[in-house]
Amino acid sequence: MEKIEHTTVSTNGINMHVASIGSGPVVLFLHGFPDLWYSWRHQLLSFADLGYRAIAPDLRGYGDSDSPPSHESYTLLHIVGDLVGLLDSLGVDQVFLVGHDWGAIIAWWMCMIRPDRVKALVNMSVEFHPRNPSVKTVDAFKALFGEDYYICRFQEPGDIEEDFALVDMKKLVNGFFTSHNTRPPCIPKSVFKYLPDPPALPAWFTEQDVCFYADKFSQKGFTGGLNYYRAMNLSWELTAPWDGLQIKVPVKYITGDLDPTYHIPGTKEYIHDGGLKKHVPFLQEVVVMEGVGHFLQQEKPKEITDHIYGFFKKF
Amino acid sequence: MTSEVREKKIKTNGIWLNVAEKGDEGEPLVLLLHGFPETWFSWRHQIDFLSSHGYHVVAPDLRGYADSDSPPTHESYTVSHLVADVIGLLDHYGTAQAFVAGHDWGAIIGWSLCLFRPDRVKGFVSLSVPYSPRDPNLKPSDLFKSFGDGLYITQFQEPGRAEAAFAKHDCLTVMKKFLLTTRSDFWVAPPNTEIIDDLEVPSTLPDWITEEEIQVYADKFQKSGFTGPLNYYRAMDLNWEILAPWQGYKIVIPTKFIAGDKDIGNEGANGTIKYVKGEMFKSIVPNLEVVVIEDGHHFIQQEMSERVSQEILSFFNKLRNITE
Repeated sequence: MEKIEHTTVSTNGINMHVASIGSGPVVLFLHGFPDLWYSWRHQLLSFADLGYRAIAPDLRGYGDSDSPPSHESYTLLHIVGDLVGLLDSLGVDQVFLVGHDWGAIIAWWMCMIRPDRVKALVNMSVEFHPRNPSVKTVDAFKALFGEDYYICRFQEPGDIEEDFALVDMKKLVNGFFTSHNTRPPCIPKSVFKYLPDPPALPAWFTEQDVCFYADKFSQKGFTGGLNYYRAMNLSWELTAPWDGLQIKVPVKYITGDLDPTYHIPGTKEYIHDGGLKKHVPFLQEVVVMEGVGHFLQQEKPKEITDHIYGFFKKF
Repeated sequence: MTSEVREKKIKTNGIWLNVAEKGDEGEPLVLLLHGFPETWFSWRHQIDFLSSHGYHVVAPDLRGYADSDSPPTHESYTVSHLVADVIGLLDHYGTAQAFVAGHDWGAIIGWSLCLFRPDRVKGFVSLSVPYSPRDPNLKPSDLFKSFGDGLYITQFQEPGRAEAAFAKHDCLTVMKKFLLTTRSDFWVAPPNTEIIDDLEVPSTLPDWITEEEIQVYADKFQKSGFTGPLNYYRAMDLNWEILAPWQGYKIVIPTKFIAGDKDIGNEGANGTIKYVKGEMFKSIVPNLEVVVIEDGHHFIQQEMSERVSQEILSFFNKLRNITE
């Protein structure tokens, strides 16, 4: 871990903290919510050993990167702009891209609008869904799952932050990362008044890991990460030019069968029966990992490294 | 001349656009995008010419103009909105790839279309406004500050300011001040002067436009106002933010740039013509032809209609391997 270098890169008007190691073709790892470069700690080391230069930023709003104050600075176009600037400052023309959770959404959109900068993509946990021109993103979730659905609860600035603050940070971190609950996360305010103690830490998530996340989110707060959700309807407006366009990059998609996103009604059929492939015609492989939850790259680091490497070495 | 032009309303990207059309629907589609402060009528000569030379011509009133919808706030006038409006039109006509020509703000929309959806553009002709690569360290409003408050773009920023200034003149006069301008500077008004007061109306009309034709514009703007059109300028900083992913992007689609040598911004050593003929522009738009029309001013497709029509036709025909 000490061999991982930490630098700050100036890109698209922000200072971005980047963790990197190794030399060779560049693999860019994009974390999700509420996460950090640290999610990829295992893959950074293993890809350096495999002859790649592995790079994992703290995305805008997270960790040691800048957090512009307004949610309007967190659209898909802002974040992709950050990454294009990052690649330009590294002098890298094309990358292998890996995304998880919000990082997967960013990765889909980077491939949509700048396919020329991506050699191949391994994406995890969140499939690509084309924009519905008739209904805004958050409005659609509200109609499907109600106003206590976590995406809806995340909208009002300050509201969910207040709820999170009622809970001990380490308990919150443990709850986020280790839960294997597959029900759609509806979190009415009452949930935070009495949150059951999470079970004992699993082997793959140590006390040290909990402390790392707890420290960073105690320093930084959750608002930066929450701003991605608050910018979803704005991103919906701004991505209208790409309605109907397919993603034309070679893709491998991986999810865990205990990931709550895999249990959203319709998802299994969408992934396995051709729905996803219609929009991502170069989708080459789909992997569902048994008994694995949302944070696959931490739960099964070696298997995920093998899956990613097995795909990228084809190019 | 415009009697056979069909006008209809098309729903696109959540709004209704009024669209003028002429020509056989089976022919390749040419999309014409007007500038500020104009309407599809600016393309009347090209609509007739191109449709009688084998093209299906489509010219919308852009968002905010004339008989098209005008969403109220400037946040709805980014290049993302404008390009999505255009994509919706192409989808309506079932056109996979279009020939596109844009003038002034229409050129900016065209350049943005080349960045966002190069897959939908066969070839692009821009009139008057070249592609300006984004400066990652300089927002448009900061760049404009260096020209002072007299710069028309700066004066167009504050909601209501330009509208109030324009309203001191009748619409016909406002239109004459714009359409008939022969100024080649960057349109900077003297201190404490609104640009609309600084622009002069010549004592006689030039031969390329009639009083009746100017009245066509005046009638439209009398009804729809200038806020929609001004909102394009008010969204310039937002556009700069949105365009971050295309930092340094090369536009490889075949393009042709046409301008008059007396167009706005051509005065002096650092003018537009010098820029488009330079190495920097060629490096980001490598597949480029440049045509400079002597004695041409800003509203070039009206002022030098035959020449512009021929230049557009020959370019699109060349891309189809047709020679006259």
